[in-house]
Amino acid sequence: MFNFLNIGNFFVLLNKVSKSIKIIFVPVIIISLVFALYLSPKDYIQGDTVRIMYVHVPSSWIALGCFSSISFLIILNFIFKIKNALIIFKSLAPIGLSFCLISIVTGSIWGQPTWGTFWAWDARLTSMLVLLFFYLLIIFSYKFIKDQNFSSKICAVISVFGLINLFIVKYSVDFWSTLHQPASVNIFGETSVHKSMLLPLSFMLLGFLLYCALIFLMKYRTEIIRMKKKGLKRL
Amino acid sequence: MNLNILIMNGYGLYVWSAFIFTFLVCLILFLKTKKSLNKVEKDFHEEVKKLSAEQVKTLKKRKISKEILNPQVKIK
Amino acid sequence: MLNKKTKNKSFIFFLFSLLLIIAVASSLKVLDDNVLYFFSPTEIKEKSNLNLNQKIRIGGMVKNQSIIVNNNEIKFIVTDFKNEIIVTYRGTVPNLFAEGKGVVAEGKLQDKKYFVAKRILAKHDENYMPPKNKKKLNDK
Repeated sequence: MFNFLNIGNFFVLLNKVSKSIKIIFVPVIIISLVFALYLSPKDYIQGDTVRIMYVHVPSSWIALGCFSSISFLIILNFIFKIKNALIIFKSLAPIGLSFCLISIVTGSIWGQPTWGTFWAWDARLTSMLVLLFFYLLIIFSYKFIKDQNFSSKICAVISVFGLINLFIVKYSVDFWSTLHQPASVNIFGETSVHKSMLLPLSFMLLGFLLYCALIFLMKYRTEIIRMKKKGLKRL
Repeated sequence: MNLNILIMNGYGLYVWSAFIFTFLVCLILFLKTKKSLNKVEKDFHEEVKKLSAEQVKTLKKRKISKEILNPQVKIK
Repeated sequence: MLNKKTKNKSFIFFLFSLLLIIAVASSLKVLDDNVLYFFSPTEIKEKSNLNLNQKIRIGGMVKNQSIIVNNNEIKFIVTDFKNEIIVTYRGTVPNLFAEGKGVVAEGKLQDKKYFVAKRILAKHDENYMPPKNKKKLNDK
């Protein structure tokens, strides 16, 4: 039943997928860059600065999504002791950290021409910075705590805190008055981004996701080989 | 018109710096990951070389180890 | 199906998360005013313990046809469609500052109707569209 939880099966499956990802990654990135920087129209008030949205928004989504899956995996590993979950979350963490950083930096670059300031301590921006620290905490606690039982406990505690923070990030713009504007793209509600801008946005998201998959595969392989290397001595 | 893609009506500095920053972070992450993967793979192969012929035989029966040692599968 | 250790762990986990959620929710409730980045004119009106020497931020829409530029000084009305505050400011404003758009002003209140700003930030909405479509919308 839990076939994908078996490390061997998962590993073989991933190696099969990797080839096709590599083939479509480069064209998707090129198409999305052409759309984002040249073909897409400028905004009616913001002008060309709206193009920063095409890197800022997808990377924020990835940062948030990555954190929620990491927390889920950590909790799964804490309760059921699933080794594969441990390896997957270790491979995901650096990706999430990088995209969180990208989201914050591009956001503040976008803030200067539109709001008139690089940084404001409003609820959305502050909670996003807190998310970055949560990523760092999780990475440090599995890297530097040698005792695996203890580190999985610590990670579980951090991820619960992090999940609450994630909730605050998501809903801060609706609960409180913030400088940051409310969400434009809603899965269930109305989307306030025009179609001609939604297309490059989704292409960019696809490109970023493919990049994430590529990094994840490399990371996962590294972790597996590391694990197997320890096993070699027991042969 | 051709120059406008660089200037972006005066916002070029912001737009390009955001895109270049993103690209740099992605590149650094990619290179770091690749470097550590190469190192680990090399170490693994060296460890395998030290093993006796019989040990290598049992190793190749295992699903994951077989996959790692298979030279055709390379994620890079 | 589950062994005892797993059951124990999940119990501890759920108890812990429940307590934590309650703790965070209540502390946010206490901090309420500090979490707000700015106050709307209505909130200023209803506020009783107003300290005029304290630096605060107010925000809302710039009222249509309310911007008066006089030498280096700019004067406009911030509204949330219920109450209004008159704001004066010296200096340059962000590019997106315009009538009918969102604005956040940082500075001090003279009284409940009059505000002296030290800094102006533009707040933009969540709508993105090309200029052509905006024209179409206006023509309708």
